[in-house]
Amino acid sequence: MKLEEVLFSAYGFSSFRPGQREVIEQVIKGKDVVALLPTGMGKSMCYQLPAHILPGTVLVVSPLLSLMQDQVAQLKKMGEKSVVAINSFLKPQEREKIWQTLGSYRFIFISPEMLVQPFVKKQLEKIHVSLLVADEAHCISQWGFDFRPDYLRIAEILPILKFPQVLALTATATEKVTQEIKTYLKLEEPFIYKHSMDRKNIVYDIKKFDDSRQKLEWLTSFVRGSAGPGIIYAGTRRKSQELAAILMDQGISASYYHGGMEHQDRVFVQQQFQNGELDWVCSTNAFGMGVHISNIRHVVHFQLPTSVEGYVQEVGRAGRDGEAALATLLYAEGDEGLLQSLVMDELPTRHEIQQVASHPAGAEQLVAEGIVRETALRVVAYWLSRLSESETLRQMEFLQREKIKQVDKMKKLVNLQSCIREYIIECFDQHLKGKPENCCVNDGIDYSIFSKRLEKPKKVVLESWQNRLNALLP
Amino acid sequence: MFFNQKTLGGPLLLFEELVITIMKAINLERTISSPFHLIKGKKSGQTIQDVGYYRLHPYFAAMPNLEKRLYDEVIQNLFARQLLRDNDQVIDLTDKALAHAMPASPLNGWKYRGNEAVFLNRLSLVVQTLSYTSQQTNRFDPVHNAEDLQSWVKHYLKKINFRDPASVARFKAEMLESLEAADVEERSKMVLMQRLTGLGWSGMTWEQIALAHDLHILDVQLAAVEALHAWLDVLERNGFPMLSPLLDHVIQRSVLTESTQRTEKLFEKGLSLSEIAAIRQLKTSTIEDHFVELAMNDPFFNFTPFMPPAMYEQIVTVSKKRNTKRLRDIKEELPDATYFQIRLALALREDQP
Repeated sequence: MKLEEVLFSAYGFSSFRPGQREVIEQVIKGKDVVALLPTGMGKSMCYQLPAHILPGTVLVVSPLLSLMQDQVAQLKKMGEKSVVAINSFLKPQEREKIWQTLGSYRFIFISPEMLVQPFVKKQLEKIHVSLLVADEAHCISQWGFDFRPDYLRIAEILPILKFPQVLALTATATEKVTQEIKTYLKLEEPFIYKHSMDRKNIVYDIKKFDDSRQKLEWLTSFVRGSAGPGIIYAGTRRKSQELAAILMDQGISASYYHGGMEHQDRVFVQQQFQNGELDWVCSTNAFGMGVHISNIRHVVHFQLPTSVEGYVQEVGRAGRDGEAALATLLYAEGDEGLLQSLVMDELPTRHEIQQVASHPAGAEQLVAEGIVRETALRVVAYWLSRLSESETLRQMEFLQREKIKQVDKMKKLVNLQSCIREYIIECFDQHLKGKPENCCVNDGIDYSIFSKRLEKPKKVVLESWQNRLNALLP
Repeated sequence: MFFNQKTLGGPLLLFEELVITIMKAINLERTISSPFHLIKGKKSGQTIQDVGYYRLHPYFAAMPNLEKRLYDEVIQNLFARQLLRDNDQVIDLTDKALAHAMPASPLNGWKYRGNEAVFLNRLSLVVQTLSYTSQQTNRFDPVHNAEDLQSWVKHYLKKINFRDPASVARFKAEMLESLEAADVEERSKMVLMQRLTGLGWSGMTWEQIALAHDLHILDVQLAAVEALHAWLDVLERNGFPMLSPLLDHVIQRSVLTESTQRTEKLFEKGLSLSEIAAIRQLKTSTIEDHFVELAMNDPFFNFTPFMPPAMYEQIVTVSKKRNTKRLRDIKEELPDATYFQIRLALALREDQP
């Protein structure tokens, strides 16, 4: 059967997106594959389609609970019923039910922590896994931002699963990280597919200001004049709320989104945005994962991101429909200061390392008491199991220097005189092939291609609960 | 911090009135954080026993997601308004607060124990599905992704034959009729409807609802619970064939917490308090909490395994005489009694205020 036919019958799409076919063909041939596809290019299809051709189950290792939930929800939305997620949030009865029918699922999503548990290994040993997918495979890199120690142990599961083929997927990997992925997943001669990190339809703009007041003034007038939908990345939770309030005051359809909100409220904001009931979302970097909206026209960074990788990831949420989208980075004198402190916040502190080192057994308790952050604990516990306390401290200092290098790359981007697109691509060890007409601020931008904001008719205000119910169930 | 939010300091919030109502009942006897634990529905011996002592049933677990930060802001405001007096130990209401007339509450917290959320979650998914499918849209992002909830709703939808337009019409008619009958403000019903999602009408965040009504976020959250409790009361008393199934397991059949029920079973088998603690690998104090809860709920509870009748009489007498339920005050006069015995005796008191 032709791949396109499977694509259509299983998922209702009539053609592949760039890169998908190249990867899928190799997977179906039985090769191990490392695939680098930029954000927004449909990475998931690279295992979704093979699942309909290969015998047995596709096991997907996914680093974040929220990502996993979203992947499962998306698959179900596409009509896929045979899918399950295994993570520490399952209730005991639910788990019991899953173990009994484990072999019958086409897709099993699992967190790396669960994967290495002896009991879980025993369950997986009983079933036929034809493809092991390491999603967000760059999490394996100890030098990266998203380092997940348990990813290093994925290789342990390979003999238990009788060496299935492996597909490593990532949207962000330099040469060095690609090598690490190969080494730790024990891939001898994988097919490596690297798609260009360049998204031709994204236009890169930078605006510089003397102070943050000017920045804010520019933002409000920009949003007032531009058609959405758009995301404004604000840096902190507080800032996201503040910006949303200011925009709403201007009569703009805006709201905020961050990890500190109640779950149901987050779902509502996502859905309002997705359904076009909301034009702008001011958010922290927590927003984006569950957002599957193809026509985002604007991504504005109100504060500098801490790395070029992070920046590209967030910008990549724009223009998935292939139409032009504008990425605007705002910078005011002195913003670097904040950047430095954000970076320090991401790393385990000396105090946290000492605490974990002196309470090796009660580490979870330290998290519960708020003495050590959960993210910090994962990383610290990993290194302490291999190194002494002082070596671990040195390791963290090393990580700190690496992160500061990342920050410096971002700062350099702001002050660039040459092409931003070219610079970004080179940060990923790639070379730019051809510039689009509308490229970046340093090569000149034709702003007229972006639509102006149209006054929308005000949404009907429902006066009574009966009206609202009538609107819900007409 | 809410930037578009109504701030404290205007007319008293409904939520503030709720806190004062609770405080009036426990004035000078309990700490400032007791109302917080009560409203959150903390399953500790102290909180559960206070529900019985002070007749605080409506408010238990009324807002299980209440944030401490917001509660603390409210408390600070009560001090600033001179409704509360400084007191390191206990709640100390001023005369102004004691004179404040309190509206009756439609809450019924002890009965629902926060389970009204189960009803609302099911309802949200059902309404969303009916809204989308009845308007020829079969693919949508469900507002809830929990596996058990989804499978419950799928099963329900199949049973009501949800693709039949007549079913949708009946469902809506029952919603209109039953919510109409609910004894709660119209505005609260609107708040509840604004938390539901349909095609073109996504659910609104608490803050968006608060803005739309020009209310504080705590008051819209309270309004939603009030509407739910009043509505559930209607649904429970009158059969609504479409809506009633959504109540399955929402109403606690036993008033006891699950853990206490297990302790009760072991006690009935003849095990002693310390044996039960050993078997259940729980602290003795936890098992003591269970017995206090049992005593509170069972008018025929036999206290003699725990204290002689004379001691029970003494405790009750001292409590009455000094007009207090503070354990320390009673212990002062009856040093021989343990705190557990005092709690048990107070829980059993028949003439509760």
